Amino acid sequence: MNHRAQPARELTPEAQASGARPWYGYGLGLRTEHFDAVLEERPAVDWFEIISENFMVAGGKPRHYLASIRSRYPVAMHGVSLSIGSTDPFDRDYLRELRQLVRDVEPIWVSDHLCWTGNGGINSHDLLPLPYTEEAISHVVARIGEVQDFLGREILIENVSSYVSFADAEMEEAAFLSEIVRRSGCRILLDVNNIYVSSRNHGFDADTYVAALPADRIWQIHLAGHSDYGDYVIDTHDHPVRDEVWALYARTLQRIGPVTTMIERDDNIPPLRELVQELDHARRIGAQTLYLSSLAVCA
Amino acid sequence: MTALATLERRFLDHVLGGEAFPRTWCSQGLVDSDIGLSIYANAYHSRLREALEADHPVLSAYLGDTLWLKFCAGYTADHPSQVRSLRFFGSRVPDWLARNAPFSAHPVIAELAQFERALLDVFDAADAPRLDWAAMGPLDAQSWPTLRLRFHPSVRLLVLSTNAVEVWRALKDEEAPPAAAASNAAARLLWRDEERVTRFRPVVQAELAALAAVLIDEKDFSGLCERLACDHPADSVPAMAIGFLRQWFDEGVICALATDYSAAPQDHG
Repeated sequence: MNHRAQPARELTPEAQASGARPWYGYGLGLRTEHFDAVLEERPAVDWFEIISENFMVAGGKPRHYLASIRSRYPVAMHGVSLSIGSTDPFDRDYLRELRQLVRDVEPIWVSDHLCWTGNGGINSHDLLPLPYTEEAISHVVARIGEVQDFLGREILIENVSSYVSFADAEMEEAAFLSEIVRRSGCRILLDVNNIYVSSRNHGFDADTYVAALPADRIWQIHLAGHSDYGDYVIDTHDHPVRDEVWALYARTLQRIGPVTTMIERDDNIPPLRELVQELDHARRIGAQTLYLSSLAVCA
Repeated sequence: MTALATLERRFLDHVLGGEAFPRTWCSQGLVDSDIGLSIYANAYHSRLREALEADHPVLSAYLGDTLWLKFCAGYTADHPSQVRSLRFFGSRVPDWLARNAPFSAHPVIAELAQFERALLDVFDAADAPRLDWAAMGPLDAQSWPTLRLRFHPSVRLLVLSTNAVEVWRALKDEEAPPAAAASNAAARLLWRDEERVTRFRPVVQAELAALAAVLIDEKDFSGLCERLACDHPADSVPAMAIGFLRQWFDEGVICALATDYSAAPQDHG
């Protein structure tokens, strides 16, 4: 398999209209520690994912590096502040800044999480769990629609790790996510590590979860490390991807076909080349798991 | 929406350390709900502490572990995050330190925090083109009195009363900090240069008056000269004022000029 960065293609209007899952290859989360290395080493990474909020600043080094890196690589925008499940009104300033960043960056897509982050004007800065109820579905679907209308594009919604579930749940998480996707028209950013973490904490079967999702709506996969405390597992993003998550990733690709994939690392951040090597492992799994013909760049 | 809104309010209250979230509202998975809830609460407090640590590494070192944790707990309790980005969670830290014991008894602590926050503001302030001294060339003599300067968005003027910057410098270099002391020459000008490197330097008393006039009070050149004339012989003021202007241009902190000598203000930026 060719490990050199492949020129990702912007989606044509026809491809967007068809809803076909695009293929951008294998990416990494862009972190401040790697700004210079990315520009100097031009690593064999197909694309980068940015945390949108880190670049919602007026200027200086963050925006300078982003512009330089964007001129060389496709970029996806991943947010943590949309708070799509909150019963607070949307932060309109945030939405406006997000839309402006979308215009500046021209990302391959925009994503955030299926969660809420605050209530009553207080921000937890965490991805808090929703109850899997019809009430929450209606609320989230309406909010996703509002965001998609405002941005003028479909967004990707990511499943989060959770440590608590609620007694009034009316369905499993996978059914909850699937129904939201069906009604809102959004896509799925499938975090395979989060599925693993939540499956261990709540005692569901991770493969059954994947099988319950609409495969054609899964446009991106996240991989990350976690901390295993035996009785429970926490999504920490401070370790390499663990074997059990690689295995679930391989089974997921076998089930749903090639999906644009990236590795997140947010703490204990190693040199860029180590993450590029880890990403090569994802490439190998992709190559081993899928027919080479499936790896052709689509669109 | 009542059920979802109530669940979120009660859940967040628990996370922040308030009333406990009802155990009966949780389903019991493999992980006990009390453990699950504590994971969220611990994450909230450690995340905010890490944000403060990232913004204030020198303050943290100066206070030491015990006082640092006392500060984090007190600040977080008084100011639950209402900001979208953790970048701004600590924006009230200098004010909080100046008002709360035992920190308030040592003004150097709040000023150390003030200096670190100014460095953050300089780092990601808006970009703008810069003018050099040649931009003054087209100005005729009649335009000078109404000349106004627009400073680069990254420029910050700090008027301090202690040797907080000397303390910051020593700790940054991993050396023993000097004893905290009052200082009447502790003003600093901070800015980001064209290479996006943060710069700062001391500001002497005369320049402080000049900067206060044009940067804070937005006076024009005649206002600047009037301010300097309060403390200096009138015949020395023009040369002194022009000297300051020249220095600011050379440092790259001026991004636009305007005069209202013409019918309409002319922006030379």
